[in-house]
Amino acid sequence: MNGAAAARPRLAIVDVPAWKRRLTFTPMGRWYVGLTVAIGLAAINTGNNLLFLVLGLLLSSIIVSGVLSETSLRAVRVERRLPAAASVGAPALVGIVARNGKPRAPSVGLELRERHGDVAGKALLLLLGAGQTEEVSYRFTPERRGLHRFEQIEVVTRAPFGLFEKSRPLQVPGELVVFPRRIVPPAEQPRRLARDGERSTGRAGHGLEMHALRDHRPGEDVRSIHWRSSARAGRLIGIDREQERRRQVCIVLDQRRASGAALESAVERAAAFFERELDGGADVSLAVRGDRLPPGSGERHRIAGLTMLALLDGSADGAPPVADAGASALEVL
Amino acid sequence: MLGAVRGTTLLAAQHYAGSLALAAAFSACAVSGELGPALLILFPVAVLAGPLVQRYLAGRHQWGWTALLALALAAEAAGVASGTVDIVLAATRFAVLLGVHRLCHRGSRRDEWLLLLLSLLLICAGAALSAELLFGVCFLAYAVTATWALALTYLRFEIEGARSPEQAATLLRSRRLVTPAVLAALGALALVGLVVCAAIFAVFPRVTLGGLRRASSTIPVAGLGDQIDLSRHGVIADDPRVVLRVRLDPSPSPAAELPMHWRARALEVWTGRGWRARSDPFGGRNWPALMPPLRLMAARRRSAQLVADIEAVSGFSDGIVLTPEGWTRSVTFERPIAARATPPRLVRATNGDLYYAPVEVGDLHYLVRTERALPEMDELRGRGHEYPAGLADSLEVPAEVDARVRYLSQRLTAGKDPIDAAQTVERWLSRSLAYTRELSGEQKDPIAHFLFESRRGHCELFSSAMVILLRLAGIPARNVTGYYGGVYSSAGYWAVRAGDAHSWVEVYVPGAGFVTFDPTPPSGRGGAQRSAWAGLVLAWDGLAQRWRAFVVDYDLGSQQRAMQQLGQALRDASRRLTAARPGAPEFRAALTQAAVGAALISALVLLLRWARHRRRPPSRRLERDERRAQAVWRAARERLHRAGVQLTPAMSPREAIRRTADRRPAAASAMERLAQAVLAARWGGKRLPGSHGRALLRELQRALRAQP
Repeated sequence: MNGAAAARPRLAIVDVPAWKRRLTFTPMGRWYVGLTVAIGLAAINTGNNLLFLVLGLLLSSIIVSGVLSETSLRAVRVERRLPAAASVGAPALVGIVARNGKPRAPSVGLELRERHGDVAGKALLLLLGAGQTEEVSYRFTPERRGLHRFEQIEVVTRAPFGLFEKSRPLQVPGELVVFPRRIVPPAEQPRRLARDGERSTGRAGHGLEMHALRDHRPGEDVRSIHWRSSARAGRLIGIDREQERRRQVCIVLDQRRASGAALESAVERAAAFFERELDGGADVSLAVRGDRLPPGSGERHRIAGLTMLALLDGSADGAPPVADAGASALEVL
Repeated sequence: MLGAVRGTTLLAAQHYAGSLALAAAFSACAVSGELGPALLILFPVAVLAGPLVQRYLAGRHQWGWTALLALALAAEAAGVASGTVDIVLAATRFAVLLGVHRLCHRGSRRDEWLLLLLSLLLICAGAALSAELLFGVCFLAYAVTATWALALTYLRFEIEGARSPEQAATLLRSRRLVTPAVLAALGALALVGLVVCAAIFAVFPRVTLGGLRRASSTIPVAGLGDQIDLSRHGVIADDPRVVLRVRLDPSPSPAAELPMHWRARALEVWTGRGWRARSDPFGGRNWPALMPPLRLMAARRRSAQLVADIEAVSGFSDGIVLTPEGWTRSVTFERPIAARATPPRLVRATNGDLYYAPVEVGDLHYLVRTERALPEMDELRGRGHEYPAGLADSLEVPAEVDARVRYLSQRLTAGKDPIDAAQTVERWLSRSLAYTRELSGEQKDPIAHFLFESRRGHCELFSSAMVILLRLAGIPARNVTGYYGGVYSSAGYWAVRAGDAHSWVEVYVPGAGFVTFDPTPPSGRGGAQRSAWAGLVLAWDGLAQRWRAFVVDYDLGSQQRAMQQLGQALRDASRRLTAARPGAPEFRAALTQAAVGAALISALVLLLRWARHRRRPPSRRLERDERRAQAVWRAARERLHRAGVQLTPAMSPREAIRRTADRRPAAASAMERLAQAVLAARWGGKRLPGSHGRALLRELQRALRAQP
């Protein structure tokens, strides 16, 4: 795990000043401003007051547009909701919760756009009432596994006339680990497979096989009483059963042996094996060069394993991977 | 997110708003009257029929349309090259044709933006073609409709760009997006824009280079003819259109009508059916003319100078300078607004009539100084019967005069001094004959018919009869036309209207020049225009005058004056405030005004809030347990926040549980129990007693303390 962790890029969080705005022209805005300049020149040239009046209307539209767009952007807070899991090639929904902190004025025509991160996405919010919170989402399909950084969300508006685009960047850092592409696992089976199903460990536990007999302790489940021995001994004899351990599979991947598409293919296959074995009820461990994931099962273990594979790169140093002792090995590379 | 009131679909609203903006801009051009009947018919047809035909025309016959437009462009270019069409007018007509084409081919985003750009070009063309108040009305309509069109077009393409085609189609066809309230809000936005526009218009520096400026080519409509026909049929109709706007110094009381003759021209030659002007009028070179000695003496004795600031409305003056009665001492024309326009030049006819040249479209603004002091009657008597040779026209009598007329003339004037004779004839006509607005129709001898048969007539018959009666007695007299009277407009000027047209008499007195007599009974002089329509016309003219004064004629000087007045008003207000002391009447008045203003503003705000509250749908009042759940959740969030677990308001309880488990695992179970209880009470209808809520909070607090 250490190698993958070392490779994870760090987020450089820089505070964005609250006053910072970016203003660009829309294509219509460029025409509009060009015509405004032309009409201004015509008015100055001719001295025609009615042209000055038209010029005043055009300039006032620009001013009103600027004031309203600023009002729309002000006091808007956003928060990103990342999906719990995302895989390469599978569409994922990213939610953006926007809250209008203004007590009276609504925000109109907000576009919430990812900026400076690894993901490009945007969502439109037509109207955000005063003091209201709304959630919108956009869909993105990851094209690579690994860490995806999210940095800023740009709150953009072109309201009310679509002449200018004014935006306000908000620092909303986030990270999403995209798991390897989900493929149908190959039919390959683990090597050195001892036996199917569970096997005993030689220790007391909750299995089916008997481990030892002993005196029954008060309060113990009556089902643990060995009635035949009790009748023989004339007192209550309890039974200890053997602890049973589930099938153990270790997926072995030496990432130094491949690179590029071959490595990606190997990682996808490893992820597919990992999930297949987990779904099959086994305790699955992962061994890669420089890192290993101890055996385990359950949803947390699945995420830990897929995260490890997602962040795996070919440049890790360390000892070559070795399968766990006693576990069936499934070597991918 | 969407209003509850159903309106129209966004698609339809955007479509109509674009058409309306283009129509308003087209109207701004059309009020100039220069576009021609073909475009005046074609454009409204395109606006109305465009939605019906565009589905059949869109994308078809493009080459045909292009060829037609190219032909139109070539025709306009040829007109400009040959000098028959002004370039601004040609460009405007071609822009209208482009607008017609787009109205029939609307479909894409580009088409809609092009329509808006064309409307902007057309409103600019309208500004170059016309300066009338109607342009101002069209401009206001354009400001509102263009705001709708811009905002709705933006909204439409924003939705189309951000949503899938199916989602966009659903939204665009929804009737809950564009409600009357939304349109009203956009209208209010347009009004705000107009206020800002007015401020920009007022302060934008009026620096004029005077480069290309369009010259007017319209021929003005004549308002004052050069002849009178006494044998017309019908009834003199009221015409409430304003022909003169006059500011007088000294100004009479605005309460009554103005008893003033506004002299236009003298008609001296009898035609047998009426009067006409002399054929060779322009010969007067001695301008300003020397004041006759008797008038000069009267002026020296008791001067009665009157300064009249006159705006002669375009289309009525016909090149004539109208002057108030009295001896005109000077006429000064205001500098034209156009940097390259020709300043008017004064021309004096031999009979004293004043004209200006060149005659151009547009109101004429000039200042007339008049000496109104008249010699006493005793001074006018005994001036003899010797008249200058130039007055031959004013002594000419008709070849065939009814004997009764000759007898009447003799009876009224025999043995009297000319001035007494004129007074007698004036008095006799005024008292013996009645005034009527009905015209006498075709008569062999209209004067005799008026004097002895109908004994009723209008002002031209009165003045003509007096002139004939005096000329028969050898006294030089002439018929004079112009206007009589004037009503005070709330805009601060005296309005003389077309219906005030009048005719009176000038009698020559040696040493005093022509002296005014008016034989028409006072009740029949000028127009009796007190109808609602006349009031409306006067109000419209008041607006037109303000439009002209504050918009069309607003120049660098006006700008300086406005700034000075603003500065003065601020200084006065500051002085009043600093000078006023508590207890002083000024201070109390200012305090009262401020209190009344504050009360009015507060009432308005409360009214708006109440109206807004009424419109809001009634919200369900939360039950006690639901409110308690909210309070418990807020308290839990505060405790977690203090313990370093940040929860945003948008975070759901389940997300909060996950975050707590990540950051403070020991508190996860307590948090889960609390969140479950909150969810059950807030949304599940379960009870949450206060004691239970407090217990949950205490448990959470303990768990948070347990693990730092």
